[in-house]
Amino acid sequence: MSGFRLADGGRIDRRTKRTFTFDGKARWGYAGDSLASALLAQGQMLFGRSFKYHRPRGILGAGVEEPNALVTVDRGPGRVTPNLRAPSVPIYDGLHATSQNRFPTLKTDLIAVNNVFSAFFPAGFYNKTFMWPRAAWEKVYEPIIRRLAGLGDSPTTRDPDHYDATYAHCETLVVGAGPAGIAAALEAAASGGRVFLIDEQEEIGGGALSDPAQWAWLAEASAKLAALDNVTVLARTTAIGHYHQNFVVAAERLTDHLAVDEAEGPREKLWRIRAGEVVLAMGAIERPLVFEGNDVPGVMLASAAKTFALRYGVAVGRKLIVMAVHDSGWRDALALHKAGVNIAAIVDIRRDVAADLIEGARDARIACYQGYAVTSASGGQAVNGVTIALAGVGKGQKLDCDGVLMAGGWTPTVHLWSHAKGTLRWDEAWGAFLPDKTHENLRCVGACGGDWDFGKGLSIGLLPAPKPLHESKAFVDFQNDVKARDIGLAVQEGFRSIEHIKRYTTNGMATDQGKTSNLNGLQIASGVLHRPVTEIGLTTFRPPYTPQSFGAILGHHKEALFQPLRKTVIDDWAADHGAVYENVAQWRRARYFPQGSEDMDAAVARECRAVRSAVGVFDASTLGKIEVVGPDAAEFLNRMYTNPWKSLEPGRCRYGLLLGEHGFIIDDGVSARLAPDRFHLTTTTGGAARVLNMMEDYLQTEWSDLDVWLTSTTEQWAVIAVQGPKARRVIAPLVEGIDLSPEAFPHMAVREGQICGVETRLFRVSFTGELGFEVNVPAQHGRLVWEAIWAEGQKHGAVAYGTETMHVLRAEKGFIIVGQDTDGTVTPDDAGLGWAVGKKKPDFVGKRSLARPDIVAPGRKQLVGLLTDDPQAVLEEGAQIVADPNQPVPMTMIGHVTSSYHSATLGRSIAMALVAGGRDRMGDTLHIPMPNGTISAKVVAPMFYDAEGSRLNG
Amino acid sequence: MVEIAEIAVSAAELKLGTEPVQGAGVRLSLAEGKVRYSMRARDPKVLEGVLGREVPKRIGGTDAGIACLGPDEWYVVLPDNFDLPRGEGLPVSVVDVSSRALGLVLEGPGALAVLCSGCPLDLAKMGVGRATRTVFETVEVVIWREAEDRWHVEVWRSFATWLWNAFLAAMPDAK
Repeated sequence: MSGFRLADGGRIDRRTKRTFTFDGKARWGYAGDSLASALLAQGQMLFGRSFKYHRPRGILGAGVEEPNALVTVDRGPGRVTPNLRAPSVPIYDGLHATSQNRFPTLKTDLIAVNNVFSAFFPAGFYNKTFMWPRAAWEKVYEPIIRRLAGLGDSPTTRDPDHYDATYAHCETLVVGAGPAGIAAALEAAASGGRVFLIDEQEEIGGGALSDPAQWAWLAEASAKLAALDNVTVLARTTAIGHYHQNFVVAAERLTDHLAVDEAEGPREKLWRIRAGEVVLAMGAIERPLVFEGNDVPGVMLASAAKTFALRYGVAVGRKLIVMAVHDSGWRDALALHKAGVNIAAIVDIRRDVAADLIEGARDARIACYQGYAVTSASGGQAVNGVTIALAGVGKGQKLDCDGVLMAGGWTPTVHLWSHAKGTLRWDEAWGAFLPDKTHENLRCVGACGGDWDFGKGLSIGLLPAPKPLHESKAFVDFQNDVKARDIGLAVQEGFRSIEHIKRYTTNGMATDQGKTSNLNGLQIASGVLHRPVTEIGLTTFRPPYTPQSFGAILGHHKEALFQPLRKTVIDDWAADHGAVYENVAQWRRARYFPQGSEDMDAAVARECRAVRSAVGVFDASTLGKIEVVGPDAAEFLNRMYTNPWKSLEPGRCRYGLLLGEHGFIIDDGVSARLAPDRFHLTTTTGGAARVLNMMEDYLQTEWSDLDVWLTSTTEQWAVIAVQGPKARRVIAPLVEGIDLSPEAFPHMAVREGQICGVETRLFRVSFTGELGFEVNVPAQHGRLVWEAIWAEGQKHGAVAYGTETMHVLRAEKGFIIVGQDTDGTVTPDDAGLGWAVGKKKPDFVGKRSLARPDIVAPGRKQLVGLLTDDPQAVLEEGAQIVADPNQPVPMTMIGHVTSSYHSATLGRSIAMALVAGGRDRMGDTLHIPMPNGTISAKVVAPMFYDAEGSRLNG
Repeated sequence: MVEIAEIAVSAAELKLGTEPVQGAGVRLSLAEGKVRYSMRARDPKVLEGVLGREVPKRIGGTDAGIACLGPDEWYVVLPDNFDLPRGEGLPVSVVDVSSRALGLVLEGPGALAVLCSGCPLDLAKMGVGRATRTVFETVEVVIWREAEDRWHVEVWRSFATWLWNAFLAAMPDAK
């Protein structure tokens, strides 16, 4: 046992014991303890196994920078969180924590054999070794590596917790509630604006929590903040990222510190804060030193030992040695001594150390070794001594100890500053990057801004040692097991930029994002390359600052509320009539209406036959609709669509084809002219928002001179398609004020009147090839009108049909569906819609592209029909087509099937396909190779039923 | 293969409430039937000529049921049975969108927090009688502050069920 509880001191509540388990064994601590401090107090030095070599590891730091002591906390089914840092886990009664990355137990790890053979696992090992054979990667190497090198286990059940989220606004946001942050918050609050002060720890105070001399001030400042009603103080809240214009996202942990049965309400809350000014007071993180055995449990940061002693009342050992290159190590040693911790010696590579520090150490009877370096630390699962040497290369001298404290200087925490694209400058005195310039209203105060006195020191990272670099096991990145020699190897292999060295060695790429390793890695690379640090470059910090639960990011956006499911006003009726649904964009639409034991094929066949022989009713409400109004409405549409619109008379409809600037079809729909200055457009269901945005974009940026305005009316109108030879008879008794006779109301016409006493825009249009009407009524009356039409239809054998039947019926007529028969590379001519392009029009969107050489070149894929030789064979949509099935593999694919159905009307299968030079292949037989044999099909025109269109006349 | 249990309530099963819901400090209800118009004009005077009344000119301003949402855009929410002239032939656009949206009403001291849970605007600074188009999470809404503690939220019909339930989900935690 090495660690122990000090007789007094710390902010823990010694009257309140907490019991918990670690790796299944009962443990205890005091209220206010972290998992790390409670376990250290009981002498636990071993906390985890390293990622790659499974080396035993202990605590390095006392905060979120901790790279080694990753634990899994189990709060019951579905509430298992891996990769939590033991120093940041508060203990509570009933906490169950387990160590990670050990097999089978922490003390006896069989995979630690990797460590013995670590010379065979250098940087880039995985990339080099497991490249071949390619197929073995997925099946052999990756699963094994994952098994060996996993970081905790993924959850396997649904998360039963819920998470809150909100936006918040303030004039000043202060990130980090140490002395500098608290001072900034109090100052900002005095000006009267809204102030947020957030801090990731269990309580505010930051570094002051480890300095009893500041506790009185801290209590007073906390009370002052609590009394101000314009200040919101959030502890246990991590600012995970800074985004444009001072948008800071922070996650507040609400219940994870409570016993499971005391936890109520949301587990976490996501704060999305927009701030006038952001003040970063994130402090600095102490840097480890790089020497042989610097990862043996018991070797830790001096600042961590100080925090454990002064904040938690825990000595991390009974005989400690400080290895310092910085004054702060001396100061911490003296503070620890004062708290009753035995510091046996201070070793400092520097010969010159401030006299007051030396004097202080002498008074405390601490041996001082100036000009010395620790050349190695010994011990397996706990450190038992160090070897020191003059200048690191002199004669080795052994010192016994059960803990080594490293004081390698300080790295300001500039993560959020970097998220905000703030620039950094190298500061020699700090041996670190400090904030420089930013374009945000953002500033750094305290240590993270370089404004804090930790004393003087060297920034050398790698300590001098007698062993050559390539033989040493001196760790730089503890979590990713990157050694100093791996960085040397990367340089040796030709990597020069830190961005490349980082990726080759994985230095700084673990879950701690290199909080303790980045600068040491950079300095070692600089040393090996003999170039200044500023020339090696700097890696970029990206959000999140610390690992973040998905739960908080989702907030209420999960399960039923994951995203809106849009339903039409007729959806409930469809549900009552047994509809099977499919999702189209965000809408759910009735796909078919099975009766009795019908499967989809049977239901669709019945629905198709009914529409062709009698009448069918279809909910087309999801069609996108745009009302285009203004004196320039026709001019505008003329410029947007490929076909002419100016000549369209009020009361008539036209099929419109919309291209992008690239000349490819992006949408289509039938639109009507209601008045000289008013059009009713329709778009595809999925294209509604996109088309409106595109049109609005053109209107605002290209043709702002036009007097025309666009209004989305998709949701204003419920649309009931009544299709089939008896369609007129079904609606006739319900319609008022409209002459339905073929002479007065021809195909592709629109009339306004009333149906069931409700205003209607009645279209005579057909997407089935049958006589058809589309009844538009205000959505609030949609259900009523639908039911009236349905009731009337029952007298004529009407069926309700869904999208699947709609697809079959339109395919029988060769009508395309944009996005199914087109894929963003199909021109009007490719689709056989050349007739819809106004040849005489001076311009329209996409016109110029239609003359591009590759668009007019022969051999483009063209839409054709396919009839399989076996009339019952239904091709698979997406299947590839070849001209010669006997050619060697890989075959030349000349196209693919876009639409394919069994047609009940025709008693056989039909298909549409995009085929290279398709219209020149009419009558040819093509082949569709499938897993169970090749299917042959004849190329025909994409028109399978009533080519002359006589059925439109009913 | 990890088997994840079915969710207890699916998106398809969500219902739009018909009765008001009273939470701690906040009440959610559906607004009465309304007439809605979207009006557009380059020159507000032309629109005023068509309507025979003034329209608010400042973006975000409202006046007797007319909200100015943009430099050339007004949104009208009125009690039932108003029919506005369409201004045929004039450089204006008046479109009846009565059925397009539903109105949800949040009332009470907790209403602001419910709205802030998903709306990125600084609504605390929005004056009474102001209206704006914005989003609640991913859904477009028009928020109208009718009184200090009464907010009228216009949302397209098919998104109303989601929004109603998103408000319900936020109500217990909003403080």
